[in-house]
Amino acid sequence: MKTRLPLLELFLSALCLWAGWYHTPAGALVRTAGAWLFRTRTTARPLLAYFGAGTLVPPRLPPFLAGPVPPAQALAYGAAAVLDGSPAELAPRIRTLSGRLGSDDAALIALFCGEDAARYAVDEARSAALDDLARALPPRAEPCIARTAQAAMLGEAYALGWPLPETVRITSAFGVREHPILGGWRLHAGVDLGTSVGTPVRAVAGGVVRRASSDGVNGRILVLDHGRGVVTTYCHNDALLVRNGQRVDKGQIIARTGNSGRTTGPHLHYQIDLAGEPVDPLRFRAQHPRTAAGATD
Amino acid sequence: MRWNVAERVNRIRWIFLPLGLCALAAVGAHAAADVVGDRVLWFVDRVDALFDALWSSWSFTAPLVDLVGLTQRTWFARAVALAWELAADALIAVPLLGYDERDAAREWQLGRDLLRRIRSPLQLVRPAAALLVSLAGAFSIARMVQGSLQLALHLSWLAQLARAATLVSLAAVLVPRAVFRSLEHARTARYRVPAAIVLVPLLVAAVLSWR
Repeated sequence: MKTRLPLLELFLSALCLWAGWYHTPAGALVRTAGAWLFRTRTTARPLLAYFGAGTLVPPRLPPFLAGPVPPAQALAYGAAAVLDGSPAELAPRIRTLSGRLGSDDAALIALFCGEDAARYAVDEARSAALDDLARALPPRAEPCIARTAQAAMLGEAYALGWPLPETVRITSAFGVREHPILGGWRLHAGVDLGTSVGTPVRAVAGGVVRRASSDGVNGRILVLDHGRGVVTTYCHNDALLVRNGQRVDKGQIIARTGNSGRTTGPHLHYQIDLAGEPVDPLRFRAQHPRTAAGATD
Repeated sequence: MRWNVAERVNRIRWIFLPLGLCALAAVGAHAAADVVGDRVLWFVDRVDALFDALWSSWSFTAPLVDLVGLTQRTWFARAVALAWELAADALIAVPLLGYDERDAAREWQLGRDLLRRIRSPLQLVRPAAALLVSLAGAFSIARMVQGSLQLALHLSWLAQLARAATLVSLAAVLVPRAVFRSLEHARTARYRVPAAIVLVPLLVAAVLSWR
């Protein structure tokens, strides 16, 4: 297809090469291989970070809370944790931006990337969800999108409720522990809440049931996706009251606690994942349920 | 002088055109894989639940439940999307590096002949994927151009014009070449069934990513 437009063809090819080289995992792979071959440093991100418009970056975890988070300020707490700022100062700014731009996610983009970028994203995106807004922005916005996503994720985590009454004791905390059944030191990726069979389990936030299944290890297990990279998991239930794909509201009874799967007694294993990384659920609560001695599973 | 520049550029088109075609398809494959990332996660969750139920039935296979446990599933889902994208790159984008340019009229004639000689739908999968994925790449690059211009110059009309011009130019200049090369390659390509398994979902994903 020989045409008389070599300059246009060169320009278009260069544009494709730029996009492929800097903004695809294949380009990152070639750049990394090149850097390895020539013993230089690569600027390519990890291959999996090219998905989700850069919004699935695990956040730097904030310190444990000194006092309770007012529900209306949860997002400001998330932004403050990323900006090292004050939630009290950020909350009114986020509220104003949210009013102007129509959603909290757009307000956070405005906070981290500028209002022009946020307005452009709102105009161009398919929906008001953070990842769609992020996809509408050009690649050079990726660093500020990553910070926005971290703030949104932490804000969502600060707004989470608790699945059982506060009086229920923690029988095994988050962290590396000697496994009570299998032995050996392993990460306990959530907290175990010791309670009798049949206690209602409530959704800690609105979301969609991503998994309602049963196996011999986790027992009857529920996984809720709350959006913004926050996922909660509830294991060892006696009965699941919701099904795959169902939308649930905050506080809705979703299961009844039990003793199913690999356990030493009736309890609920409750886990929070931020961008696929398990974090200590107590990090986002000012008032901790009391911890009992000894580990269970 | 201007003509000389064009003439010089013309002499190296055998390098930049195949590279440009390959990059266009790679960008399109990424746009397609990215847009279905959430669905891949749901799919991985279903398969993981199925295997967990199976492995946990016997004590000696129970440790496999934790192999892709609750924590690894997001990583695993994204790894599945990445593997899918790289497989698509190998099947569509890499063969475009073999693009050997001919006279325009001859290329169209050859393309029509190749299309006529296709005997099974499996042979058509790669060219169809090349068409839809290259278009997805064109949409994606045009969006990048618009966003970059809009945020740099704050001239919305200029950014939109640049987006439309980029999209139309890519669709007119590079996409037909990608399809032609893919038709040529599909005639001799092997592993048609595995290729179809990888590429047919990509066709749908590519269309979903168009905007």
